[in-house]
Amino acid sequence: MGIFQGLEISSSALTAERYRAEVAAANLANVETTRTASGGPYRRQQVVFRAALAGADAAGASAVEVGEVVADPSPPVRRYEPSHPDADKEGYVAYPAINPVAEMADLMGAMRAYQLNASAVQAGKQMIVQALELLR
Amino acid sequence: MNTISTNLPAAAADSLLNRPLPGQSAAGEQSGEGFAAALGSAVSRVDQLQASADQQVAQMLEGRGADLHQTLIAVEKADLSFQLMMQVRNKIVSAYEEIARMQF
Repeated sequence: MGIFQGLEISSSALTAERYRAEVAAANLANVETTRTASGGPYRRQQVVFRAALAGADAAGASAVEVGEVVADPSPPVRRYEPSHPDADKEGYVAYPAINPVAEMADLMGAMRAYQLNASAVQAGKQMIVQALELLR
Repeated sequence: MNTISTNLPAAAADSLLNRPLPGQSAAGEQSGEGFAAALGSAVSRVDQLQASADQQVAQMLEGRGADLHQTLIAVEKADLSFQLMMQVRNKIVSAYEEIARMQF
């Protein structure tokens, strides 16, 4: 489906950006999380995008996909809270090293990128409609 | 004139169903064969897109679908391809009517 290639590419970007927004939201939600299934505090997640071929005959134009989600290796932030059940012997609690402001900025970036790609879908659609007008 | 234009698609669809694909047609057959087959496959592709859009909308309404935008783009694709098919049909019908109106 050659004429819909642009829509496919924009669609893949919309999916990827939505996923990025979800990960940023998860990071925001877990700012204070001290317990995880793997033990220790929550680790900030980061999305890595990867170019993906759109269709079999893609000559250059490539879609995007979420390559992987990696955990931020930076060490947890230690806060002195002796009464906290997860405090260590010295009274420090390990909290995730997440900067809510940075996460908000990332969320807004994902939102704007989503908007941008939605506009690209609109543009692609309008081009097809214009081409159809030629037949009238 | 109206009866002709409304009957044409049904007759065309009937003949399209029984025609071989371009690669399969034997040599020496009437010309126009390729066009009919191409039209037939285009119609079936439009139908496929409609079916896929239908399926995705149903899935989304049941809450187990893909992303919202993917569903909407599928609907958009079905709509655009249907519009294209209608335009092609209009062209064919108007050409046919033009010929039918021909006076000698």
